[in-house]
Amino acid sequence: MSNATVIVAAQQPFRRTPVELLDLVRSHRRVTVAALLLGLLVLVALLSPVISPHDPLAVNPDNSYLPPLSPGHLLGTDELGRDLLSRILWGARVSLPVALVAVAVGLIGGGTIGMISGYAGGAVDLLLMRLMDALLAFPGLILAIALVAALGPGLRNAMIAIGIVAVPLYARLVRAVVLQLKPMEFIVATRSIGASPLRLVVRHLIPNLVNPIIVQVSLSAGFAILAEATLSFLGLGAQLPTPDWGQMINTGAAFLTNDPWLAIVPGAAISVTVYSFNLLGDALRDALDPRLRT
Amino acid sequence: MTAYILRRLLLMVPVAFLVTVGVFMLIHLSPGDPALVILGEDRTPQAIAAIHQQLGLDQPLYVQYGIWLGHIVHGDWGRSITTHEPVAAAITERLPATLELGIVALVWSLLVAIPLGTIAAVRRGSLTDQVVTGITVAGVSIPNFFIGIVLIFVLSVTLRLFPFGGYVPLLQNPLESLRHVALPAIALGTAGAAINMRFTRSSMIEVLNLDYIRTAWAKGASWRRVVFVHALKNALIPVVTIVGIQIGGIIEGAVVTETVFTWPGVGRLAVESIFNRDYTVVQGIVLLAAFSYMLANLLVDVAYAWLDPRISYA
Amino acid sequence: MRRVALGFISLLLIAACGGGGGGGGTNAGTPQRGGTATVALESELHTLDPMDSSLLVEREVFYNIYDSLFTIDPSLKIKAGLVTQWDVSDPLNYKFTLRSGVKYQDGTPFNGASVKANIDRYKTATTSRRKSDLASVASVEVTDDTHVIFHLKKPDATLLATLVDRAGMMLSIDAVNKGGQNFSLSPVGAGSGPFQFVEWMRNDHLTLKKNPSYWRAGFPYLDGVTYRAIPDVNAILSALKTGDIDIARVIAGKDVASVKADSNFIYKDVPAIGFNGFELNAGAPPFNDPAKRQAVALAIDRYSILKNIDFNIGVVGYGPIPPSSWAFDSTEKIYDHADASKAKSTATGFTFTYKTTSDPVNQQLAQLMQSELTAAGITMQIQTEEFATYQQECANHQFQACGVSWSGRIDPDGNMYAWWHTGGSFNDSLYSNPQVDQWLDDARTSADQAKRKADYDNAQKQIVQDAPYVFTTFGVSAQISDTKIHNFTLYPDLMIRMAEVWKG
Repeated sequence: MSNATVIVAAQQPFRRTPVELLDLVRSHRRVTVAALLLGLLVLVALLSPVISPHDPLAVNPDNSYLPPLSPGHLLGTDELGRDLLSRILWGARVSLPVALVAVAVGLIGGGTIGMISGYAGGAVDLLLMRLMDALLAFPGLILAIALVAALGPGLRNAMIAIGIVAVPLYARLVRAVVLQLKPMEFIVATRSIGASPLRLVVRHLIPNLVNPIIVQVSLSAGFAILAEATLSFLGLGAQLPTPDWGQMINTGAAFLTNDPWLAIVPGAAISVTVYSFNLLGDALRDALDPRLRT
Repeated sequence: MTAYILRRLLLMVPVAFLVTVGVFMLIHLSPGDPALVILGEDRTPQAIAAIHQQLGLDQPLYVQYGIWLGHIVHGDWGRSITTHEPVAAAITERLPATLELGIVALVWSLLVAIPLGTIAAVRRGSLTDQVVTGITVAGVSIPNFFIGIVLIFVLSVTLRLFPFGGYVPLLQNPLESLRHVALPAIALGTAGAAINMRFTRSSMIEVLNLDYIRTAWAKGASWRRVVFVHALKNALIPVVTIVGIQIGGIIEGAVVTETVFTWPGVGRLAVESIFNRDYTVVQGIVLLAAFSYMLANLLVDVAYAWLDPRISYA
Repeated sequence: MRRVALGFISLLLIAACGGGGGGGGTNAGTPQRGGTATVALESELHTLDPMDSSLLVEREVFYNIYDSLFTIDPSLKIKAGLVTQWDVSDPLNYKFTLRSGVKYQDGTPFNGASVKANIDRYKTATTSRRKSDLASVASVEVTDDTHVIFHLKKPDATLLATLVDRAGMMLSIDAVNKGGQNFSLSPVGAGSGPFQFVEWMRNDHLTLKKNPSYWRAGFPYLDGVTYRAIPDVNAILSALKTGDIDIARVIAGKDVASVKADSNFIYKDVPAIGFNGFELNAGAPPFNDPAKRQAVALAIDRYSILKNIDFNIGVVGYGPIPPSSWAFDSTEKIYDHADASKAKSTATGFTFTYKTTSDPVNQQLAQLMQSELTAAGITMQIQTEEFATYQQECANHQFQACGVSWSGRIDPDGNMYAWWHTGGSFNDSLYSNPQVDQWLDDARTSADQAKRKADYDNAQKQIVQDAPYVFTTFGVSAQISDTKIHNFTLYPDLMIRMAEVWKG
């Protein structure tokens, strides 16, 4: 994201009170649809231990490569005889938290830096922003790969790597909002009374962050899932036997000729999940941006 | 404005410096020994020690960094640890392949994005708009390596319509070249198509609401003339800027696609060099990618400021 | 994807057992001249100079550009190469008669001086990786253009076998000097073999063309050979199907059955010269306790691995010397079928970590073994690492169990000495047994093959018994090619020799 887009985004008219989220969900159809879809996915992730017909880790070599609609295995089995449907359902438990954690790392890390940078100004701001520039200039996927190579392959390190890549984005966003707020009357007034910075942050900064952040978080979450799937596809993310969609595509790609389902179903699962996050982000952005109102 | 540009250009240097420090530390502190990767089955303790000494790997990190930096400043990008090929040559050898892939992908994405974005903007709010938007959001949601795999399987292996892998330089044989780059470019460009489409649409909507467009309507100009001659021209300007950023990120974008299609580009070289702990090559590629990204961003910001009076960099 | 670990290749080489016959190729019809064959390489090369080469794939290319002093036949017997007669009656002075009338591709002659120059280069160049190969050679004496004497520091029964491979490949020193620093990337005119170097576009293709002055009259048939590095075995099969490559050396085990059934392709395999399995660190807990090592060796179900991971390609393995070698001893089946109860009574109730890479086949194998060990009350934890990390940790003894295979060497010494002799460069297990050392040292220096076999039999039995390494399977050397490829002879050493191949 270039400087210009951030500045334009930050110039949205501010709401002093955040729009009630539920109100938003109810009143805008696209947001409703997206939220429902996402809610369904979260439900699947939460309930997968209960609704899965089999243990996703149960190895059964004599039953491998069963086609879909085989007795007891709705989607068939994979190369070690594990039930595909169960693995797909459990995959949601892996992917959704990944999105959550990665975005949280980016948001909290980047947000803190942005806040400090915007609030402190001067040399601190200069240095921090140059660090963020450096992080942004570093090609993202290559950075993630290098980080995981350094830390060791695995889901946890993939989440951290993706989060780190997202940090500068949130740093800039939060900093831009802080910079807009700083000269405003009510802030100056509150500060002159001697109110603590923490109070300022909680009562004034965070409510004004909700709008731009919500949109960005939804889109980041979708991106984080794609990034994690990519890393897993390269063998750097979730390791077997953890059922992870990206890694299932990696193994399944080898079997496209005899058993295309092994790669296609996880691919569809990822697409649907990312789609719902993107749909939500887009819908929220449209809903919150007055310029694009019909 | 000039002051702003100069300031940005000057700032690129320390930022690039930070990037190189970052990548240097990251890859040197990664576990794994390039000497072992090089020696493969011929590892003897003497050979390992010899390589460490040859490559200066037995020196403290800051010394190694200093040496590398000193060379870079003089234009010497060093040699690949695994092949001894000059890093600059290794990159320039593979750059045309990546550029061809990235640019064809971009062209594909624009060919899809501009018409669809225009239609969606003109028929805003209608079913067409919703469907088109829905399709393009789908395009950015499907992992591009998955698109790649499916394309290979269907169009290359099963239907034999396209060759599998292999790069033919554009200047050598344009038609063959396009045949070989088609599948990877489609896989890579689909996500970009969605982004560019969104941008085209929102930009078109803004322009279509502007006074002078309404005036043209009022004067009775034909629909087609209004849209294509007046609106599109102006709506595309911001799109060009976002395209500029995509060009700046060409190396990074190609990484996965090049891996799936075994395309001999810079992205794949970067990934393999990380796995091989080929420090010099990774450092060189990251430096190049960082500079191209910063330069593209600067150009985009300048273009924006020039076009949009709300932005000022005073 | 750079997924090609040493172990991985060999594991996948376990293609259908009992497939094609021994070494013969398809000889239908009279050879046609012309055409180019495209060969798939399973990873990219780093160099084209035998001096600093260390990858298996590089050797696959070398055999077509360069000639060696000796060659082998498909039964691994040493045959004449650039050396036509050899007198090794004096174990410290080998007398070789060289082939006359051979020219390098740049026109310079092959002669005694050239042999000396090459050996000296291999022994003394700073970046040479051939120093340990030629450790037993003191110097080369040139008697005349066609006679040389190798003076040895100590008797070395493995030297002739070593001279079949890289250390015996002869290059035009003229070409080496002309090439300078870029020689390893562009060895123009340097070999005397059937094909000569044209161009190398790294990560994409390597092109060789026919050597018009090749000393074997009438060969090669092909006009050229193109190599393409395709790091993913599934991609190799795809490329074969689309016709983008003609020959491959390895495909995924799961695809072998369908390739065999497909009349558009030829599939053949012969037993190879390496071994597969995993090493145990005898220098640290828990495997410093021999009983625990033996328990693991007893609990592993090799037949299940062969069936489920290797699709029954290859055979079950139980020692370092495979059936293709003269030193093979079938009586060494100390660990054969899995015996969970015997394992339990030897040692049970312990946990260890097994290191491997994220390659899907390696992962599958690890999980299968994990479940096999549970039956014996042994808990195996799988630690997946990135290739370079895994390689370093195994080499530096920072492991408990490490999955690693060996591609094999022609001489049985190459499959044992560096691995289990005290201080051997592959002795990651820190195994040390003075008696085994003695047997291996004796076998190295003895010229009597019967005596050598006795030594290797003893050493093998001991090593297998002590289980610093758990052997699982023996792999195969395979040929997977289009039916247009004729006269391809399959060798157990995994090398693709194109001199006699024709395409039609």
